[in-house]
Amino acid sequence: MKNPLYYKIKSITLNTLIHIFLLTIAVSCLFPLVWMISSSLKTQSTIFSDTSLIPQQMHWENYALAWKEGGFGRYFINSIFYTTAVVIGIIVVASLAAYAFSRFSFPGRNIMFYTFMAAMMIPIPGSFVPLYLLMNKLGLRDTRIGYILCMINVGLSTSIFLLKTFFDKMPRELEDAARIDGCSKFGIWWNVALPLAKPVLAVVVVFNALNVWNEYLLAYLILDNRKLYPLQVALMTFQGEYITKYHLLMAGLTIAALPIIFVYVLMQKYIVKGVTQGAIVG
Amino acid sequence: MKFGRFAILIVFFTGIILSGCGQKNEGASNPSEAKKISLTVWHWMTDRESALQELSKKYEEKTGIKVNFELYAPSDAYAQKVRAAAQGNNLPDIFSVLGEKRDFAAYVKVGHISNLAPFMEANNQEWEKGFFSKALATSEFIEGNSYGVAPGIYGVPIDMTSIMMLYNKDLFKELGLDPERPPVKWEDFLAIGQKIKEAKKQGLVSGWGEIWMIDCIANNFAFNLMGKDKVLLTIRGEVPYTDPDWIRVFTLFKQMQDAGLLYNGLVSMVNKTAEQLFANGKAVFAFNGSWCVNVYQGMNPDLKYGVMFLPRISDKFPVSVWGGAGSSFMVYDKSKNKEGAIKFLQWLSDKEQQMFLAEETRNLPANKGAAGRISPALAEFSKAIEYSTHPRVWGVSEFSQVIEAFDKGIQSIIIGEKTPEQVAQEVQKIKERELAKKKNK
Repeated sequence: MKNPLYYKIKSITLNTLIHIFLLTIAVSCLFPLVWMISSSLKTQSTIFSDTSLIPQQMHWENYALAWKEGGFGRYFINSIFYTTAVVIGIIVVASLAAYAFSRFSFPGRNIMFYTFMAAMMIPIPGSFVPLYLLMNKLGLRDTRIGYILCMINVGLSTSIFLLKTFFDKMPRELEDAARIDGCSKFGIWWNVALPLAKPVLAVVVVFNALNVWNEYLLAYLILDNRKLYPLQVALMTFQGEYITKYHLLMAGLTIAALPIIFVYVLMQKYIVKGVTQGAIVG
Repeated sequence: MKFGRFAILIVFFTGIILSGCGQKNEGASNPSEAKKISLTVWHWMTDRESALQELSKKYEEKTGIKVNFELYAPSDAYAQKVRAAAQGNNLPDIFSVLGEKRDFAAYVKVGHISNLAPFMEANNQEWEKGFFSKALATSEFIEGNSYGVAPGIYGVPIDMTSIMMLYNKDLFKELGLDPERPPVKWEDFLAIGQKIKEAKKQGLVSGWGEIWMIDCIANNFAFNLMGKDKVLLTIRGEVPYTDPDWIRVFTLFKQMQDAGLLYNGLVSMVNKTAEQLFANGKAVFAFNGSWCVNVYQGMNPDLKYGVMFLPRISDKFPVSVWGGAGSSFMVYDKSKNKEGAIKFLQWLSDKEQQMFLAEETRNLPANKGAAGRISPALAEFSKAIEYSTHPRVWGVSEFSQVIEAFDKGIQSIIIGEKTPEQVAQEVQKIKERELAKKKNK
């Protein structure tokens, strides 16, 4: 039997080490964010000469300048529209598909499911040119619907995988009870499966919202009309061939990051629940 | 069953999608507007966007033709868009091809790019003569070129670049050197290294972590030491890299390192970092392109610097610099507005528009007549245009594996990992391997 002091010291040391480790991780995660905000308040030249995190002189006008120069107004609305449409589209299609893969037996079910899973392995830029050609043939190039459909396609595989894993674990007794109460297959999906899947749906919403919000490459490819561009494209205007307007870029990035941080904070409760319930690890 | 909420969801989703579908026909309701001729130009030059938009307005006022400059940045996103559009036959009237000359050749061979030689040569070569000859060389394919492209000029340069040495005038003073007399000879340059060491300052910065800049300076040295012909003979496989002249080229990097002329950590430095260090007076020398005039202006408007040629190693051959056309525009051969596109490019490359671009964007103009109204620093860069060369105009290209071994070898010499002789042997070994592979094909 060791001295109680030994256990106390051991516990304090261990806790201190764990906290130092966690603090290091937290600081390394937060530092880029703080640096971004700090740089957004400097001028192009002070970014390179003033390395302090709190600028000597705050240039709040950078935000207004970035908003104006980047044409953020229209692009902001476009991005909100695309994000909402794509996320809703993915939730509707992926939850229906995942429920069907989990609960129904039909010919080719496994092949279809594994085909979806295989699509997850294809690097996104690798599918850009085929998507472009497809949209061109369908006459959907340079349209909002074309871009939305492409983005739904991009997010489907992962979402189906997450939701199917959740539905597989869901007790069948709940559905049996609903069936006895007269629910149809569609009604069970709507009244039983979906409400129970809230935590994993939150994960799907945040992952896909982030993906759509930060996307610009596919938008560049599919869309020619500047009026249809998402917000991220506006940020690219600050990155020149040789010169980057860092102060405006950082101000723009801060503006662009706010809505997605808001979505995350709003859904944080469900995300943590979703992750701990095995939404990700299955 | 409560389908109400689901129905609302579906209606909302369908609604927002359909609302989006209507956007495409925006602006086409007026038939007279639809008939109006307009040109579309795709580019990636963010820092030139406002100047190009300004020129577009001027052109519309002059001709009534609207030119839509559409910016797609950064350059890799732009290159991908052009590639996809080429496959779908959706290229705009005017665009640029980024990448190596072989990529450019591929677009020409499938018929996407117009040969502008007949227009350049018309009226006693009026259009062609307006340009610096080096500017056109990048877009030109000569008779019997190795790419199999029909001879011609396939692009219109809008500006130029040259890569030279720069020095900080204030630091020169601190070192007891005359800021108006930069070193001309190699020995003088090495001697400055000793002063830099003694003053505990840092020497040369450059983007040598982005391997191509090492290739650039090494080839400049090689051209000065052995002449263009011998360099090209080496690329053709007729002179080995173990030749004493090439070993001398490799040795120059060791000499610079030993003399204390190179910034610590230079081999892994990206050009953005190098620019930042030089702009903030942390390095005495920089090796950078003419675009840096604009970059330094943004980073530190008070920076006092001079532009100089690379120190001369030999008097036998001239000192050369890497340079040529910076950005060029190409005309889509299947465009319905081909003639209009060519007329617009003729106007854009005219002296007046070129002067405007040079003043607004601080880039070297491609038009000879416009070179008179540029800043003093840029004027120094423009002096090098006549001595400029670039792998794109050599007509032969080195194997990428050899270039990689060559540049990485120089990096290992700088960090003291290998000797110049070892690197020369390794590069030659790879060269022979690649030549044998090519022969067997």
